[in-house]
Amino acid sequence: MKKIILSIVSFVILASIAPVANASAPYESYNYNYYEEAVPMPAAYMPSKSISGQDLGVGHFRDPNDMYIAEDGFIYILDSGNNRIVVADRNWKLIRIIAEFQNEGKKDGFKNPEGIFVKGDRIYVADTENQRIVILSAEGELVRMLENPKSEVLPPNFKFYPRKITVDNADRVFVIARGVFEGIMQFDEKGKFIGYAGTIKIQSNPADLLWRRLATKAQREKMALFVPTEFSNVDIDRKGFVYATNIDPGSEMPVKRLNPAGEDVLKRYGYHPVRGDIQFLLRGAMGGPSKLTDIKVLDNGMFIVLDSLRNRVFCYDADGNLLYMFGSKGNQLGTFKSPAAVEGIGETIAVLDRGGARVVLFETTEFGHQVNQAVALHHNGEDEKAADAWREVLRLNANYDIAYIGIGKSLLMEKRSGEAIAYFEKGMNRKYYSVAYKQYRKEKMKEHIGTFLTGCVVLFLAWIAYKIVKTWRRRKGRRRNATF
Amino acid sequence: MQHFKFPLRLITHPFEGFWDMKYEGKGRLSVSFAIVFLLTVVMILQKQFAGFLVNMNDPRYLNSIDELKFIVIPFVLWCVSNWSVTTLMEGEGRFKDIVMATAYSLVPMVLIYLPTTIVSNFMAQEETAFYYLLNSFALLWFVYLLFIGMMTVHQYTASRTVVTMLLTLIVMAIVVFLGMLMFSMIQQIIDFIVNLYTELVFRA
Repeated sequence: MKKIILSIVSFVILASIAPVANASAPYESYNYNYYEEAVPMPAAYMPSKSISGQDLGVGHFRDPNDMYIAEDGFIYILDSGNNRIVVADRNWKLIRIIAEFQNEGKKDGFKNPEGIFVKGDRIYVADTENQRIVILSAEGELVRMLENPKSEVLPPNFKFYPRKITVDNADRVFVIARGVFEGIMQFDEKGKFIGYAGTIKIQSNPADLLWRRLATKAQREKMALFVPTEFSNVDIDRKGFVYATNIDPGSEMPVKRLNPAGEDVLKRYGYHPVRGDIQFLLRGAMGGPSKLTDIKVLDNGMFIVLDSLRNRVFCYDADGNLLYMFGSKGNQLGTFKSPAAVEGIGETIAVLDRGGARVVLFETTEFGHQVNQAVALHHNGEDEKAADAWREVLRLNANYDIAYIGIGKSLLMEKRSGEAIAYFEKGMNRKYYSVAYKQYRKEKMKEHIGTFLTGCVVLFLAWIAYKIVKTWRRRKGRRRNATF
Repeated sequence: MQHFKFPLRLITHPFEGFWDMKYEGKGRLSVSFAIVFLLTVVMILQKQFAGFLVNMNDPRYLNSIDELKFIVIPFVLWCVSNWSVTTLMEGEGRFKDIVMATAYSLVPMVLIYLPTTIVSNFMAQEETAFYYLLNSFALLWFVYLLFIGMMTVHQYTASRTVVTMLLTLIVMAIVVFLGMLMFSMIQQIIDFIVNLYTELVFRA
C-alpha cells in the first residue's frame, strides 16, 4: 500500500515538473469573422528555431534581403550587406558560400543584391547596384548575365536596377525593377526584354481630378504626378501564374495573380479582400493598411504574404480565404524586427528577419496542421475527407467559419442538404446556403407532393359530394312542398 | 369591429377613406395607436425572424428598444412637425387628424411586412427579389397614402402638400437638432452644479 501511494505521489510530482507542451506564442493569433471583427484564434504556427550567421558558422549576416528555399530543400540566403549568397541544406548545415565568380577571366562580385530565385540548378540573382541580373550554376559559376535591356518601350537613358526576380517553367524571367511603374519586366529565355506584365491601374479620386482641372498650368506642374505604385515582390506557382504584391495604401487588391496574358486572376471569394489586416488604426507608427512586401506560393493553392508594417505573416487558401496569421514586432523568438522575406517548405514556414539578421522557423501546431490538411484535401477534390479534417478544426476552434462552409460543401455533395443548410448558416455563406436550400426544398416537395395532391383530390371530391347532397336535398324539399 | 375594418377600406380607397376619417368621424385615436404598436411589433419580428438570405442584421446587436427609436419617435416627430408647419400654412387639420392620417397610412406596411417576413424563410437567392419588391411596394404605398392623407386632412392642393411635407422633414431635423442641443446643455449644467457642489464640499 505504502509503495503504491509513494509511486502515485512521485508520479504526480514528476508530471508537474515535466515541461508544459503548449507554451503560448509570443504573438496574438486572430482571424476576421463575417462582421469584420478580429476574433482570437489558437495559434496555427509556433516558432521552433532561429538560425543566425554564427549558427551556420559564417559570421553575422548583414542586412540580408532575400531568401529562397528550393524544391530539394536547399536554402539560399542572400546576405546583401556582405555581398554573398549563403547556401545551406535542409538540416541547416552550410554547403557553400558564393561571394565571387569568374567573369571573362576576371573576379567579379555582387553589390547590394536585393533578390534571389533558384530554379533547377540555376541561381538567379538581382544584383541591384551593379544594374544586372546574374545567373549562376549551382556551384556558383557564372552562366549568363542580363544587363542593359534595350527596347523601343524603354527610354534611351534607362537605368536597370532589378530588385526582385522570379522565373517560370519556360525560363522566362520576371523582374521588378526600381523606378519602373509600368509593371513587371519580362525577359525571354535568351535574356531579351519582351515587355511588361500586370500593369497596376492608376486610382485617382474625383476630388484630385477636380483640383487638377481648376489649377493653372504653373500650379499643375508643381503637383505630384499620378503614378501607379511599384510592385514589391513576385513569386510563381507550378502552373506558371505569377503572384505579385504591391504597396498601395488605397488599393483593395495589393495581391495579384497574373495569367500569361498579364491579367489579374486571383480568386477573391473570401469575406474580405486579400490585403492582410482588414481592421487597423488609421494613424500612428503602426497605423495604416498592411505593407505587403513578400509573397510565397505554397502547395495546394495556398499562399503566404508578409506584412512588413506590423510584421505579420498571413496565409490564404486558393479561394482567397484568410486561413491564419502569425508574427508580430519584437525581439523574442517568433517576432521580427524588420522581416524581409518569407519562404515555405512542406509545412515549415521560414521568415528572414533583416533587422534581427536571422532566419526564424515556424512549425504547425495541431490546429494549423489540421487546417492545412483540410485545405489540401479540399483543393484535391476530396471533400468528404476534408470534412473530417474540418470537424477536427472545429473541435479546436469553434469560431472557424471556413470549416463550417467546408463541411457544408461536403454534405451538399452527399445530398444531405438539410444538414448542409445549418452549416452554411453558421459559416455565413449566403450563396451556398441558397443552393443547399433549393435542393432541400425540392426534396421536401417531392416527398410531400403525393400527400398534397391526394389531399387536394379528397377535398375536391368532398366539395362535389357536398354540392350534390345540397341540390338533392333542395329538390327533395321542393318536391315535398309541391305535394303539400 | 367596424373600427378595424375601416383602415382596410381606407388604404384601398384613400380619397373617400381620409374624408370619412376626418369629416364622418370614422377615425379613432385608439386604432391609430394600435397600428403604430403593431408596426413596431412587425418590424421587430422582421429584424429577428426574416430568412437568413435577406436578414443582414447581426443578431448580437438586435435590440427591440431600437425600434422605438426608428418608428415611434419619428412618428411623433412627424406629427408634431407637420402640425407646426400646417398651422402656419392654413392647414385645416387638427393635431388629432394628423396623428390619425399618419397612422392609418402605415397600415400597408403592417399588412405586407408580416407575410413577407414569413415567406422569406422559404426563399432561395433568386427569389429574394420578390421580398425586396414587396417591401418597397409597401413603402411606396405608405408614402402615397400619407400624401393623400395630408392633402385631404389639410384641404391642400397637390403641390402645396408636397411643399409642406418637405418642410415637415426640415422641421423634423431642426427639432432633433434643438433636442440634442438641449440635452447637451442640460448635461453641462448638471456637470457645473456637480462640480460646484464637490468644490464647496472640499473647501468647507
